[in-house]
Amino acid sequence: MVSVAFINPLSDEGRQIVREMGNLDLFREDNAKLIDLVIHTRLQDISEEFIPHNYVDLAVKRLEWYIRKKNDPNFNYNKYSFLFNYDITRFDVISFYLLCQAVGVKFGPNSRESRAMVESQGKLMQSRLSEFSRIDREDLIKKILDSLLSDEKVKWTFFEDILSSRKLKLEDLVMDHGDIILNREDFIESFSSKIEHRDPDKIYNMMIGDKVKELIMNRMIMQKTEDYIYKVQQKSKREIEPNPLLLELAEKVSTVLSESFPSYGHKVGGNGEIKAAPLNPNAFPPCVKLVLEGMKSGGRNDAIILFFTPFVSYARLYPDIFRKNVTVKVSDVDPNLSVVQNEILPLIYGAAEQCTPPLFDDQPQEKININAKLGFGMHAVVELKHEGESIWYTPMSCEKVKLHLPSLCKPDKTCKRIGNPLSYYIRKLWESDETNGNPEGNED
Amino acid sequence: MDENHFLKPASTEERRLYYREEWNIEDIPDFIKNSVDKREFGFDHLGRGPNDRYRVFRSLDLLRKFLRYRTPFAAYSSVAFYEKPQRRDGWIKSEVVFDVDAKDIPLRKCNCEGVCDVCLNQAREIVCSLMDILKGDLGLNDIHVIYSGRGYHLRVLDESVMKVNSDVRGQIVKYIIGAEVPQSEYGSDGVTYKLEHFSLPFGYPQVFTERVKYAILHLTESTEMDGVNNKLLKDVIKYREFINNDEWGLFRGKVGPIRYQRLIKSIASLNMGWVDAKVSIDLKRILRLPSSLHSMVSMKCMEVNNLENFDPFQDAVPRFVYERK
Ligand code: SF4
Ligand SMILES: [Zn+2]
Repeated sequence: MVSVAFINPLSDEGRQIVREMGNLDLFREDNAKLIDLVIHTRLQDISEEFIPHNYVDLAVKRLEWYIRKKNDPNFNYNKYSFLFNYDITRFDVISFYLLCQAVGVKFGPNSRESRAMVESQGKLMQSRLSEFSRIDREDLIKKILDSLLSDEKVKWTFFEDILSSRKLKLEDLVMDHGDIILNREDFIESFSSKIEHRDPDKIYNMMIGDKVKELIMNRMIMQKTEDYIYKVQQKSKREIEPNPLLLELAEKVSTVLSESFPSYGHKVGGNGEIKAAPLNPNAFPPCVKLVLEGMKSGGRNDAIILFFTPFVSYARLYPDIFRKNVTVKVSDVDPNLSVVQNEILPLIYGAAEQCTPPLFDDQPQEKININAKLGFGMHAVVELKHEGESIWYTPMSCEKVKLHLPSLCKPDKTCKRIGNPLSYYIRKLWESDETNGNPEGNED
Repeated sequence: MDENHFLKPASTEERRLYYREEWNIEDIPDFIKNSVDKREFGFDHLGRGPNDRYRVFRSLDLLRKFLRYRTPFAAYSSVAFYEKPQRRDGWIKSEVVFDVDAKDIPLRKCNCEGVCDVCLNQAREIVCSLMDILKGDLGLNDIHVIYSGRGYHLRVLDESVMKVNSDVRGQIVKYIIGAEVPQSEYGSDGVTYKLEHFSLPFGYPQVFTERVKYAILHLTESTEMDGVNNKLLKDVIKYREFINNDEWGLFRGKVGPIRYQRLIKSIASLNMGWVDAKVSIDLKRILRLPSSLHSMVSMKCMEVNNLENFDPFQDAVPRFVYERK
């Protein structure tokens, strides 16, 4: 019998396993039982290098599977077959907790490590479920959902946090007067009278069936994983020293993640880092290009101040911001502010000039707001002594652009793969590096 | 009476007349009266925007006096409730609001400069349909409709949503206005089926269908839409009778599936214009105070109790307008 902990390590069954966990130090020692299970997994590639020997190895493999699958076109599933063998549940659950704790103590919930961990859990659950027969899958989902949702009827507001983190979209849910429709009976009761020429039963299977249930289950567990990482972080702040084993694992997690960013030409440093370089307008996303063409009076201010200023300043000075999870000041990367003065401000002023009517003609005070968004407080000139009086605004996400400045967002193909105009820019730079071999713009 | 007297800015004298003789503190809706001490107020004294902010009133009577004597050009109150409204501090919760401004809606039937009865009526229709979705799909109650002077504010005071953050508010907006094309492929047990939004009469696909229908029926030859060229626009108009009769399959057949896809994608992005999403995602917005005067157009901002029959040119015109010569 498959344990629900194989899908949801945060379930009661999963917690029970962890409670029996014992001494952390044992987790880096070779475990014959684990090795045996792995070797005897159907289709498992048993070359020495692929086989996890202990819990820490297993934890690393768990994340590596996700990262490689996502980025490696020649991904070999058989290297990781053991992840789909439910006999490893005990080991798997413990390695899940180890990962969360390592990420929690070292990086916290808002890090790329945490994001990767949460996403990998989501993907792993999905892939694992798809390997089961329909009956088993339905049964597992039902059991897990029953324990996650205590009430028969669930209001959509119950999913506030997964909606807020966009793990789930409101459009994915079928609702009737606020209640989420999950059961066949409720569906028939609410909608069968509206459905003509089709079998309501079939429509239910297609639109809700297991699909929505699985989605909700998946997203709730992802959210819980994130919450758990947060809790670990909070707790670790009160403790003296994190266990060295966790720090060691955290290091390994970082390495696995950095591997995933292939190096593209000179802009990318040794650890996948993207360095600052003069701007390449060819790589700008459609929304930024539109601003450069000039804005009409509606939305002019927001487009220049809230949208364009953060975008160009980060694109020029610190394109890596979203992968770094740090707060920076302009002077950290442009110590004497020469790039700001000679490149960034002229570009912003140029875009402001393109507006109809030109932005500063009737609102010269907006120059001050631009300085503020760069972190230099509300002052007429950009000066080091004022730095820090305000924060250097990070670029708006695509989601925010769509809400704030809907007329700017004219997505193209590349947009499908990114969530922020800045990531668009970086991606395009990579692509152009790859195809041209010799990118425009020189090293700074 | 002469049309020309309407929609003109109010003079200082007229403002005074309004607040001293016509306005009554009781006209402020209960949902604001009950929470005066928790809200931030803002005023525009000179017609240059609400610069006088962070105002608080410990009691209704103080607010009454303020309006009577200062007779502001415009008055606003926050959608947020605070522990310390004077500092916008200690945020408790915010109404969820949707702003439908008649002069900004897409596909306006009129071509007026500001607002007129045609576009105001169109705004009213939109508010009605948004209201249906807020209630029918999202199950929200305690929704108030305010005529703002140039359009409508939908203000939701349902406790179940007043604490949600901007991201969730953004999702609500996108759902009710149909900002995304619904998926059309559904898998069940390993088989993928194609189901267009119009064959699913419930949930988000239905919301989207309604919006697409409205848009298609209101297009004109001169409408500009991304990805929709003149030829497509002409064909849409030529065949839209099918949509009017809910014969979507036939319409799609006539237009062709690829062009249909392009059309609805374009409508989805046009839908972003029905409400001003910036207002909805801003937890600290101030909105025009119901019962106050919209001095730019000499109209009363007021709560609407019967939206079906509301006519701003009957119900929201202050007395002094009729006395204009
Ligand atoms: S999807 Fe993002 S990057 Fe692309 S145009 Fe829209 S806002 Fe810009
Ligand atoms: Zn009009």
